[in-house]
Amino acid sequence: MLRMTLAVLRKDMTLTLLRSSGLAQALLLGLLLVFVFSLSQGAGESLSARNAAAVFWLSSAFCQVLIFNQLYALEETNDSRLGLILCPAPIQAVWLGKAIAGVALLLLAQCVFLPATVVFLGQDLAGPLRPALAILFLTDTGMCALGSLLGALAQGQTTRESLLGVVLFPLLTPLLLAGTGIGAQAFGDADPDGPGAWLGLAAAFDAIFLAAGLLLFAFLYGGEE
Amino acid sequence: MPGRFLPPLILLLAGSLSLACCQYLIYFYAPAEATMGLVQKIFYIHLPLAWWSLFSFFLVFLGSVAYLLKRAPGADRLCAAAAEAGVLLSGLALLTGMLWARKSWGVWWTWDPRLTATLVMWFIYAGYLLLRGLGLPPRRKRLVCAVAGVVAFLDVPLVFVSARIWRSIHPSVLGAQGGGLEPEMKVTVSACVVAFGLFWAGLVWLRKCQLDLRARMRGSVD
Repeated sequence: MLRMTLAVLRKDMTLTLLRSSGLAQALLLGLLLVFVFSLSQGAGESLSARNAAAVFWLSSAFCQVLIFNQLYALEETNDSRLGLILCPAPIQAVWLGKAIAGVALLLLAQCVFLPATVVFLGQDLAGPLRPALAILFLTDTGMCALGSLLGALAQGQTTRESLLGVVLFPLLTPLLLAGTGIGAQAFGDADPDGPGAWLGLAAAFDAIFLAAGLLLFAFLYGGEE
Repeated sequence: MPGRFLPPLILLLAGSLSLACCQYLIYFYAPAEATMGLVQKIFYIHLPLAWWSLFSFFLVFLGSVAYLLKRAPGADRLCAAAAEAGVLLSGLALLTGMLWARKSWGVWWTWDPRLTATLVMWFIYAGYLLLRGLGLPPRRKRLVCAVAGVVAFLDVPLVFVSARIWRSIHPSVLGAQGGGLEPEMKVTVSACVVAFGLFWAGLVWLRKCQLDLRARMRGSVD
C-alpha cells in the first residue's frame, strides 16, 4: 500500500506543479480573500488577531476545495480512474496519496497566505509559535483527510466546486474554530485556557476522519456505480 | 399500498392530538417564569424540536450504516425521510431559539456556541439534502449519500465539543441540579417531548411510505 501511496503522491504532485495553472488558481483565490478582507480596515487600523486568524483559515479552506477538485480531476480525463482501481493495491492508497499531496500543496499555499495575512491585515507573530505550528499541521491533516474523501464524492459532477464547498465547509467547522483559536494566540491574543483543548479537539478530529477515510473511501471510489 | 399509510397517519394524528393537549399544560398548568414571563413558553416547543432533530440525524447515521452494509434501498429512503424531518425541525428550533434570544439577550442572534453548533448542523444536513437532489445514477447516489450520512454524524460530537470550548451563554436546561425548572415545568416539557416524538415518528414514517411508493412507481415505469 505504501508504494502505491507514494506513486499516487508523486504523480499528483508532478502533474499539479508542472501545469501552468497548477496551484496558481487556488493561491490567487486565497490571496484575493486576504486582500478583500484587508479593505474592511480603516486607515491605520488593523484587524483583530482572531479575525485575522479566521481570514487565514478561510483562505486555506477555499484553497483546499480547489486543490482537491484539481487532484480528483486528474483522473477524469481518459478514464484513468479505472487504471487506479485496477492497480493491485488497496484502493485506500489512492485516498492516502491524494490526502498527502493535498497537505503538501496546502502547506505550500499557506507559506504565501501567512505572510499575506501579516502584511495586509497588520498582524505580528507575537504569540507562542510551537502550538501554532502544531495546529497548522493537525488542521491541515484533518482538512485533507476529509477533503480527499469528499473529493471522491464530488467527482464527475459539473458543479463539483460549489458542491464540495457546501458539503465540506460545515463539516470543517470544529477544525476551523481550533485553527482560529490558536491562530489568534499566535497573533498575540491572550487566552487564559491556553492551546491544550483546541489541540486535543483537532487531534480527535484527525483521528476520526483518518479512520473514516480509510473505511469509507472504498465505497466511493471502488468502481461501484 | 394505501393501507401502508394508515399506521403513520394514526401516529401523526395521535401526535397532533397530544400536542394540542400539551397546549393546556403549557399555558395553564406550568407556571409562568418570573423574569421572562409568557415568552418562556417557547421553551416547551424549542426543546423537543431540538432533541427530535438530533434524533433524526442519528437515524440518518443508522440508515446510512445499514445501507453500506446491506445495500437495502429502503434504508436509503429512511435516511431521506429522517434528514428532511431533521432539517425542518432544526430550522424551527433555530427560529424559536431566535425568538427566545430576542427576549432573553436582547438580540435576534448571538454567536453563542450552542446556537452556532445547531446552525452548523443545519448547514451540514442541508448540504446532505442537496446531495440527494443530484442527478446521479440511483445506486451511485445512494452510496454517496450513505457515506455523507456517516461522515455528517461523526462530525456532530466534534461540533458540540468545539462549541463548548468556545464558552456558552445558553441556559443549561436539564443539568445535574435540574437547571432551575419547577416540577410542573418538568412534567410539561416531558409531555411535550413525548407528543413531539409521536408527531415526529408519524411524519418520518409517512414520508418513508411516500418515498417507497415513488420508488415503486418509478420501478414499474422503468
